[in-house]
Amino acid sequence: MLLTRKSVELLAPVGTWEVLEVAIAAGADAVYLGGKRFNMRMHRTDTNFDDKMLKQAIEYAHAHNVKLYITINNLLSDREIEPMRDYLTYLETIQPDALLVQDLAVLELVKELHITIPLHTSVMMNTHNEHAIHKLKEYGITRIVVGREMTLPQLSLFRERTGIEVEYFMHGDMCISQSGQCYHSGILFGQSGNRGRCLKPCRWAFKLIDEDTKEVLDENGPGPYKLALKDMCMYRNIPELIQAGVHSFKIEGRMRTAAFVERIVKTYRKAIDSYIADPAGYVTNEADWQDLYENRSRDFSTCFALGKPDASAIGFTGEREPRFFSQAVKEASIDSMVTMKDTKQAITIADTYKPKLSVRVADMASLKSACENGASVVYVGGEAFKPHKTWTLDDIKEALIITKKYNAKLIITTPRATMERECSELEQLFTALNKIKPDGVMVSNMGSLNLAKKFTSLPIQTDFSFNTFNHLAAKLLKDNGSVMATTSLEATYTQIKELLSTSQLPIEIIVHGSIEAMLLDHNLPAMSLDYNPLENPDMCNKHFALLDTANEIHPIRIDQYGRNHILFAKDLCLLPYLANLAGAASYRIEAQHYTPELVSILTKTYREELDKLTTDFQTYQYDKTIAEKIAKVSPRELGVGAFRYRISR
Amino acid sequence: MFHIGILQLTQNLDDAVRGFKQGLKELAVEADFHYFNADGNVSELPKLAQKLADLKVDLIFACSTPAAKAAGNLVVDIPVLFTPVFDPISVNLVDSLELPGGKLTGMSGMVNAEDKVNFIQELLPNAKKLGMLYYTEDSNSLIEANNFRNAVSDKFTLSELTIKCKEDISLLAETLPQDIDALFLPIGRIIEENFASIAYYADAIDVPIITSHAPNVVLGSLGALVANHVTLGKACAKQAHQILVEGKDVKTISVGITDKPEILLNAFVADNLGIEIPDSLLAKATEVYE
Repeated sequence: MLLTRKSVELLAPVGTWEVLEVAIAAGADAVYLGGKRFNMRMHRTDTNFDDKMLKQAIEYAHAHNVKLYITINNLLSDREIEPMRDYLTYLETIQPDALLVQDLAVLELVKELHITIPLHTSVMMNTHNEHAIHKLKEYGITRIVVGREMTLPQLSLFRERTGIEVEYFMHGDMCISQSGQCYHSGILFGQSGNRGRCLKPCRWAFKLIDEDTKEVLDENGPGPYKLALKDMCMYRNIPELIQAGVHSFKIEGRMRTAAFVERIVKTYRKAIDSYIADPAGYVTNEADWQDLYENRSRDFSTCFALGKPDASAIGFTGEREPRFFSQAVKEASIDSMVTMKDTKQAITIADTYKPKLSVRVADMASLKSACENGASVVYVGGEAFKPHKTWTLDDIKEALIITKKYNAKLIITTPRATMERECSELEQLFTALNKIKPDGVMVSNMGSLNLAKKFTSLPIQTDFSFNTFNHLAAKLLKDNGSVMATTSLEATYTQIKELLSTSQLPIEIIVHGSIEAMLLDHNLPAMSLDYNPLENPDMCNKHFALLDTANEIHPIRIDQYGRNHILFAKDLCLLPYLANLAGAASYRIEAQHYTPELVSILTKTYREELDKLTTDFQTYQYDKTIAEKIAKVSPRELGVGAFRYRISR
Repeated sequence: MFHIGILQLTQNLDDAVRGFKQGLKELAVEADFHYFNADGNVSELPKLAQKLADLKVDLIFACSTPAAKAAGNLVVDIPVLFTPVFDPISVNLVDSLELPGGKLTGMSGMVNAEDKVNFIQELLPNAKKLGMLYYTEDSNSLIEANNFRNAVSDKFTLSELTIKCKEDISLLAETLPQDIDALFLPIGRIIEENFASIAYYADAIDVPIITSHAPNVVLGSLGALVANHVTLGKACAKQAHQILVEGKDVKTISVGITDKPEILLNAFVADNLGIEIPDSLLAKATEVYE
């Protein structure tokens, strides 16, 4: 198809009125900005627009023939649903050109309120496969901001297979973790990266160590800032970007100054126009590149656009970090939970209340341990963390015999990130499972949910990675075939209680286990130690870890797809708070990083506590020494995760 | 039409720039601006200052001490207005506040230490022992720590803690005294930027933080007494008018200091810590964050 001026949209970030004027004058086709309410840049209230200014901004943009998108990409607690209704109703009256959304609840509200504004999904929705796009289209999504881990050929595929308009972050500050799947700031500081308050633990200094021996491995390495991704810059690859079919070229930086935004918009505007006018005759304007480069913040990288990035994408020395937002801190220990103001509020449970106890395990021996000690559900499959093996169909058949013997259920889990390879594998897996007939499957993203619905008639559960915080998001999942949702790992006690009392969908809470802070498509040890993981498969079986400046050790686990999972230094343990959390349909132990012996102890302990609790709720008393006993046999210290906070913000 | 260069260290100082521009507008000083922001990178500042000199600007508005130093070090004689520089004398920008004596003057960002001590007394009437945490490699922090130490005299017992690099903040769990009634943070970028980690540890022992940096109040400090950056920027605009329009000599224009510091309070933090903020302070506060 021939290129026209309309083939490409240059999309600029706007934080203040000054930036709005400058970005438009510099040649942006569209701008995006946030209101004072619900958006991803909550740190600096002065960089957001109030309701009146939003309306004026839309009028100003339209008078200049520029589109204006409003970001409402934030996760919502149940208490925020009503204010969101008001906000959407207001936005409908001022008619921006699109809304950028993250929380599934907004999709429900838009339907309910008959909002006519087009919808774009935020990068925080972590859209990374066509099956998710098909589902989102059913909800009226007209454009997706794709995950940052997408390469240009993948974007072309999306467009061809779904017809969706693609928006791509092509310049600016990037996350190293998969979008929407980083819980580090949210759980540690109670200020969530998924809610625009990220305190950027990815910019801390770390040492790479051998987790078992604690030996420091990178004394002669490239530097301590191992997660400090360089800034994305696609200026030298404008032709590739346009030819891949990317429609909207997104510039990051709603907190940036007018001068910063102006330079980037002007430079890209010139290049895009010049390419479209004469593609075959186009060459990079070296003077403009030089200007862009000299005025850069961090060094530049093309990140995933042209293929999986190596160590050159990381600014190991930290020299060009513009600023830091936090330093490493000791994670909250098991007795550091916030005072529960409503503990005296009577919790009543029905006589028939029999919650399930589920355990996620890595191997057959652990599965047996869980079954023998009273697990009602066992999860297997999904990511296999090396040196653990993946679950074959034969393994699943064998597991099913064991779970049946113990009258437990077997649920097959699926990976959190499912790109083309994993999706194709899932089609095959689901089809095979229809014959093996386990008790259900668990999916981790909108695409795998859609696939499961299509390829299997087994009951489907949705995992924590859906970031479920509120009853409307749960309703959407239920409408799409989920029989149980898992709460977000960032949800605090108060938020979980609200969800339990409002959700029509049964809820599972993760109460114990190793919790993941970040999910990366990069290979951290290989980048620091400079080896090729394909030529050194043994290195993937080693247990590496990151040591932060608070002397906390974060294990790195590598899965069968080569993705790196960074764990928190402390394992979650909510055993002392089980009674306060009564009302959930199921309580889960994430035991895939534990030995079969520990799985036995944990399953037995939680089973006993749940039995005591349901037998006589009124007289139930938690005995502090139980968690102390668990702590003694755990591989890591125990902590309370997000439960340190009253509210996750 | 004047040509004015703006040299800014970080986006934290946007308010000062905004105030400066607003002030010029109000005074009907017509100017076009050449704007450079080092985005936190101090070592970039001399290069950016030189660019402004090459553009032959009539005046440079320098935000932060390092920016003022970079503009002051230029060989050419371009007048420099700075803010918020905490103590322009000790960093050799001016001879004295009354008579700067060179090509630089501006507005100090300082708030009197006595006022800060009185503010803490009013906010926490039962407090006896204060902690004070500062970064030893920041000259402004050292000056304010010294001023505060003197101002406290016998009003509080002061327990001082220092960090020598930003990573030391990670170890505050071991070094933060358990028995302090509040933690005072003098000005200084390293402390201000990494405030969340300091607040994390102070929260764990239920200690309120009094900061010197306005954005830290939103992020979880109980309160602060600060110079408003917009106001400082506007005051600099007046000085710019004196230089550019009235033709006054820079060396005779006194360095100004805020006479009306603002009170900022965080009610959410107070509630978490079970602290009742006195009504007298709530009434005087410029902003109370919920």
